[in-house]
Amino acid sequence: MTRYILKRLLQGIPLLFIISIILFVLMMNMGDPISTMGGRSVTRPSDRERLTRQLGLDQPVYLQYLYWLIGNDWTKVDLDGDGVAETPGTRRGALRGDFGTSLVNRGKPVTEIIAERLPNTLILMVAAEAMIILGSLLVGVYSALRQYSKTDNILTALLFVGYSMPIFFIALISMYLFAVLFKRWGLPYLPTVGMFDPQVGKTVGQVLWHMVLPVLSISIISFAAYSRYIRSTMLEVMSQDYIRTAKSKGLTRREIIYVHALKNASLPIVTVVGLDLPLLLGGAVITERIFAWPGMGRLFLDHVSRSDLPVVMGILMLIAVAVVVFQIITDIVYAWLDPRIRYES
Amino acid sequence: MKSKSFVFKLVILAVVAGMLLAGCGGAQEEPAPSKVATFIWTQEFDTLNPIYTNMWFVTVTHQLWLPWAWEFDENNEAFPKLVTELPSTDNGGISADGTTLTLHLRDGLVWSDGQPLTSADFRFTWQMYIDPKNAVASAYPYDNITDIETPDEKTVVVHFADAFAPWIILWRGILPEHVLKPVYDAEGTLDNADWNLHPTVGYGPYVFAEWESGSFARFVVNDNYWGDQPKIGEIFFRFVPDDASQVAALQSGDGDLGTFIAYSDVPKLKESGISIMVQPSGYNEGWFFVINEEIGHPALADVNVRKAIAMAVDREAINRDLLLGLTKVPASFWDSLPYYNDPPLENYAYNPDEAGKLLDDAGWIDTNGDGSRDKDGVELVLTYGTTIREIRQDTQAVVQQQLAAVGIKVDLQSYDSDLYFSGYGEGPAASGDVDIMEWSDGPSGFPDPDIYYWLCSEIPSDEYPAGGNWFFLCDEELDALIQLQATQVDAEARQQTISQINQIFHDRVYWLGLWQDPDVWAVGSRLTGVKFSGVTPFFNITEWDLK
Repeated sequence: MTRYILKRLLQGIPLLFIISIILFVLMMNMGDPISTMGGRSVTRPSDRERLTRQLGLDQPVYLQYLYWLIGNDWTKVDLDGDGVAETPGTRRGALRGDFGTSLVNRGKPVTEIIAERLPNTLILMVAAEAMIILGSLLVGVYSALRQYSKTDNILTALLFVGYSMPIFFIALISMYLFAVLFKRWGLPYLPTVGMFDPQVGKTVGQVLWHMVLPVLSISIISFAAYSRYIRSTMLEVMSQDYIRTAKSKGLTRREIIYVHALKNASLPIVTVVGLDLPLLLGGAVITERIFAWPGMGRLFLDHVSRSDLPVVMGILMLIAVAVVVFQIITDIVYAWLDPRIRYES
Repeated sequence: MKSKSFVFKLVILAVVAGMLLAGCGGAQEEPAPSKVATFIWTQEFDTLNPIYTNMWFVTVTHQLWLPWAWEFDENNEAFPKLVTELPSTDNGGISADGTTLTLHLRDGLVWSDGQPLTSADFRFTWQMYIDPKNAVASAYPYDNITDIETPDEKTVVVHFADAFAPWIILWRGILPEHVLKPVYDAEGTLDNADWNLHPTVGYGPYVFAEWESGSFARFVVNDNYWGDQPKIGEIFFRFVPDDASQVAALQSGDGDLGTFIAYSDVPKLKESGISIMVQPSGYNEGWFFVINEEIGHPALADVNVRKAIAMAVDREAINRDLLLGLTKVPASFWDSLPYYNDPPLENYAYNPDEAGKLLDDAGWIDTNGDGSRDKDGVELVLTYGTTIREIRQDTQAVVQQQLAAVGIKVDLQSYDSDLYFSGYGEGPAASGDVDIMEWSDGPSGFPDPDIYYWLCSEIPSDEYPAGGNWFFLCDEELDALIQLQATQVDAEARQQTISQINQIFHDRVYWLGLWQDPDVWAVGSRLTGVKFSGVTPFFNITEWDLK
C-alpha cells in the first residue's frame, strides 16, 4: 500500500504542473488588476504605466509564470522605469513555498491570506458535511427500508423540493424568515451576517450561533442528493444474496442493516464524499457571500473580481493538491471498506 | 476495541474543538465597549495605507483615524483640519505665481502613540508617494511637487514646477515618519510594511484596533486625540459583500449604517424605519462617445447625431422609473459643483420627433427599410457597452428600445468591470471597441473641478497604450482650456474657464449625463447626529451618537 501511495503521489506532480500552467494562462486573460486600482475613477495613465512595470505585469506570460513558479531572486527587475534592471528580485516561487503577495492586499503573502480564511471555511464546511452525511444516512436508510411507504413518498417529495431550490434562494429566504421576520414578530431570531455580534465579542457560542443559517443553507441541497444515493444503494444491497443468508442465519435486523448492508452500501457514498471533501477547502462561494462568512469562497470571489492572480492561483492550486490527495485517501478507504479491493499485485 | 473507539472519538472532538478555536482566532471574552456602531461595508479594505489605495471604502475611513489636512462639510465646503487656515493667495498661503503653497500646522497635533505630528511627516509622505521603489496606487498629485521645505515643525512649504490649481487634493492622510522610516530604511520600500494592513498609529478621533480578513475591522477611541473626543466608543466595520444581505442586516438591526444602497431597496428600508440620506459625491452616471471617424462609428463624429441621441432618450423617465425619482438628470459634468456649473446648463429635452429630424438632416435615413437608418452604405448600428451592474443593464434595455424608435439600432455589450476598464488593446473601452460607453465619473479630484483625460495627448495608441482619452477625441479648443484651468490658482479665473469647458461639453455633446450618482446612505434608527459630506463622509464623526 505504501508503494501504491508513493506512486500515486509521484503521478500527481506532473498533473499539478500541467494544471498550474493551464490555470495561470487562463487567469492572465481574465482581467486587468490595474483597472480597478483607480478606485471609483479610471486608473490614471501615468499610474497604469508605472504599476504595470512595478508589479511585473509588463513581462511576457511565460516569464511571469516562471517567476511565479521558481521566483525571481536569481535576477534583477526594473522598478524605476529607466530600462535598466537594477533591483534584485525577492520572490522565491511556488516551488519553494512562496506563492507571492496579493496585488490587492499589497504586501500580504498569499499563504498568510489563505491561512487566515481556511479555518473559517473548515468549521463551516465540516459542520455542514457532518450534518449532510448523518442526516442523509438516517433518511436514506429509513426510506430504503420503507420503500414506497407514505413516509418514504413524503420524504422523497420534500427532498426534491430542497434539491431543486437554488442555494442563494434558500439562503436569502432563511435569512429573511429566521432573522428579519422572526425579530419583527417578537420571536427568538437568528443573526443575519458575520461570525459574531460585536457587542458580545467573538466567543465560541457566538460563532456557533452565527453558523446555524449558513450550515442549514449548505446542507439542504447536498442532503437531498446524498440521501437519494444512500436510499438507492441500500435498496440494491438489501436484495443481495448475502443479506438473505444473513437473515436465514437468524441475525437481528439491526445487525443486518448496520453491520452488513450499510457498510457495503457506503462504497458509492465514499466516492461522492471523496470528491466533495477537497471542494470543502474552496468554501461555499454563494453561502459565504450571502452570510458574510469570511471563508475561502468569498476570498476567491473577492480576489477574482480584482484579477488578483497570486491569491487566485494560490487557492486553485490548494484545491488541486487537495483533489489529488483526497483521491488517494478515497482509494485507501475503499480498501478498508471492501477487503476484496487490493491495489498491489 | 473499546479503548480504540474512545481514542478515535477523542481525536474527533479535539479536531472539532481546535477548528472552532482557530475560527475564533484567539477570541477574548473581554467586556465589550458600551457603544459600538456597526457599519456595513459591501467591499473589504484592500490596504489601509493611503499611498497604496484609491479605494473609496478605505479613503472614507480616514476621518476616523487619519484625517486630511482639510476636510469637507455637508455642503462639500472645505474647512481646515490639520492646518490653521486654508491657503489662499489672499492670506499668502499660495504664492502669486501659484508655484508655492505654505501650510501652517495647528498646535497640539499628536499621533496616537504621543509623538508629535510635524512638517517632517508631511515631507516623508511626499517622498514615499514619489519613490519608484514604492508601488503606490497613484503618485498624482505628489509627482507635481518639486520640493518640500520644513523650516520648522509647524510649517510646510510645498514647491511646484508650475502653478498647480488642484492643490486641494493634496494631503489626504499623512504617514508617520517615526514608524515607517525605519521600515523603509531596512527594506528599501514600504510595499510590505506591516503598518499598511495594521496601522499601529493614527491621529484621528479613533485608532485602528483590529482587521480580520473578510470579516470585520474595528476602530476604537484614540485617547491621545487632540480634538473633541467621540461619543461612540467603537466603530465596527462588517464586510458584507451581498446587497440583499446588507439590506437584511440593516432591517434586523445587525448594522447601523449601510451604503451603496440599490435604489430598488430604498422603499423597504424606509418601511423598516431606516433613514435614507443622499449626498452629492461629484459622480454622475453618463455616456462617453467615441468621437473619431477612424476608430468609432462615423455617425458619432457628427454633433447633430449626438444631439439626436440626447433627445431620443427619455432620461427623465429613467430617473423616475428605474431610480425611483431619487436622482435627477445632470446637465453638466460638474453638476454637483454649482460654482463651476455657472450659468447652469439646460438639459436636452426628450423629443424623439426633433431627434428624427436631426438625423434626417444629417443624412441618416432608412433607405433599405430594415428598421435602422443608414448613410453611404453604413448602417446606424452602435455598440453600447457598460459593466454588469444591474441598474446599467436595465438602462441599456430601455435605451435600446427608445433609440430603435428613432431608427438607431443598438448592440448591447456588458462586461465585468476589471475587463471593461482594462487598458488599450485589452479592454473594450480603452480600445475604442464600444461606440457608447457608460460609467459613473466626475472631476478627478472632487471637489476640485480638474479633468485631464480629454487632452489630445491622452489618446491611447500602440506607442502610448496607457492613454486615458478613450473617446479618441482631439478638440484643440477644449485641449487648451483644460490645460489652462489646471494652472489657474485664481478661483474666479478658473471658474470662468471651467464654465467655457462646460458649455463646450454641452453644445458639442461630448458627454451626456444619465443620472446623478450620489452616495446613498442607510442610517439605522439608533444613530444620531449624523451628517455626511460627499468628499469626507465622516467629517463630524465625533458628534455621532447611539441612542
